[in-house]
Amino acid sequence: MTAKPYIQRQPAGWWLKSSAYRRYMLREATALPIFLYCLLLISGLYQLTQGEAAFLDWLQVLRSPWVIALHVVAFAAALFHAWTWIELVPKILVVHTSRFTLSPQLIKRVHQGGALACFVGLIGLAVLLLTRATTGAG
Amino acid sequence: MSDSITLHISRYRPEQDDAPWVQSYEIPYHRDTSVLEALNYIKDHLDPSLSHRWSCRMAICGSCGVMINDEPSLSCKSFLRDYIAAGELHVRAMENFPIERDLVSDLGGFIDHLKTVQPYLMREQDKPTSEGEYLQTPHEMGRYKAFSQCINCGLCYAACPQFGRNPEFLGPAALTLAQRYNLDSRDEGQSQRMAHLNEEEGVWSCTFVGHCSAVCPKDVDPAAAINQGKVASTVNYGLNLLNLIRGKHDG
Repeated sequence: MTAKPYIQRQPAGWWLKSSAYRRYMLREATALPIFLYCLLLISGLYQLTQGEAAFLDWLQVLRSPWVIALHVVAFAAALFHAWTWIELVPKILVVHTSRFTLSPQLIKRVHQGGALACFVGLIGLAVLLLTRATTGAG
Repeated sequence: MSDSITLHISRYRPEQDDAPWVQSYEIPYHRDTSVLEALNYIKDHLDPSLSHRWSCRMAICGSCGVMINDEPSLSCKSFLRDYIAAGELHVRAMENFPIERDLVSDLGGFIDHLKTVQPYLMREQDKPTSEGEYLQTPHEMGRYKAFSQCINCGLCYAACPQFGRNPEFLGPAALTLAQRYNLDSRDEGQSQRMAHLNEEEGVWSCTFVGHCSAVCPKDVDPAAAINQGKVASTVNYGLNLLNLIRGKHDG
């Protein structure tokens, strides 16, 4: 008798079948709004090279509700991605030497602390710059 | 006390069928009836033509892997009582593998991948037996112990969409075993294994879906092993590059 195995092909909607796959796809999809946000920043840099009027036009574009929505979505995506990443770090970063072993919990906490420091630091810097700009303008 | 439940089982008979189809069986069950026992009941009392693999009944042999309600599971370690709430119980052959018959999968590709990573201790020079064993402290064993608990059931492959997309991907269990031996203080074969880990079909095809670790019946955590393998592969790449710059090869 000749063997005739049935070959299972992966359907395009494979990831819809389980919540674990859907979460994975959501994590990967966070790259899309962040990609669009990068394009927006790069276009701003380009407009800056084109003179003051062009840059002011770009600043005007930033005020459109769609672009504000993109900021919100990209920010949420970045936070979600950072959270999933930090959750996974202890699995990848294993410190196990002949003298000591770092606990996965400690590695996670250090990363959470680092992320929080960057977050607070960046917001602090933005507030500082904004305050200076406003004071300067006033 | 006994109740009854309907199992929907995917059938595939290569001599008659072109594609799998579903057959339903009603069977009596107790609180402690496993899916494997249910399959055996069908085979013994209702339909002797049903084919499925099993051996130890205690999650050690790794033979009875199937998809239960679309989740890769060992049928011996899954109990009917846990599916009563779902109301439905669908059993089919493992995802991503060719189906030989009914619930029996062809694991040949997976076994070939296991062989590729040379999952055994390799020494540059073997010492004679008269000189005794290669010793290892419990601390040294702790580095790889979880990764050595794999029973080769293949559930992680059934859970891996990257393996489903490309069966050439070495996959979770093989890459975990490679990492297990690379971390073993008695082993000196890392440079030979790294050649396979570094390939496109090695660690870099993994995108950390992570479902392999969720379905593993022995808590091996293949996703962690593979992604630690990526760190090792990156270090290996850097060292090879350094050696290339210094005019040496195969560092």
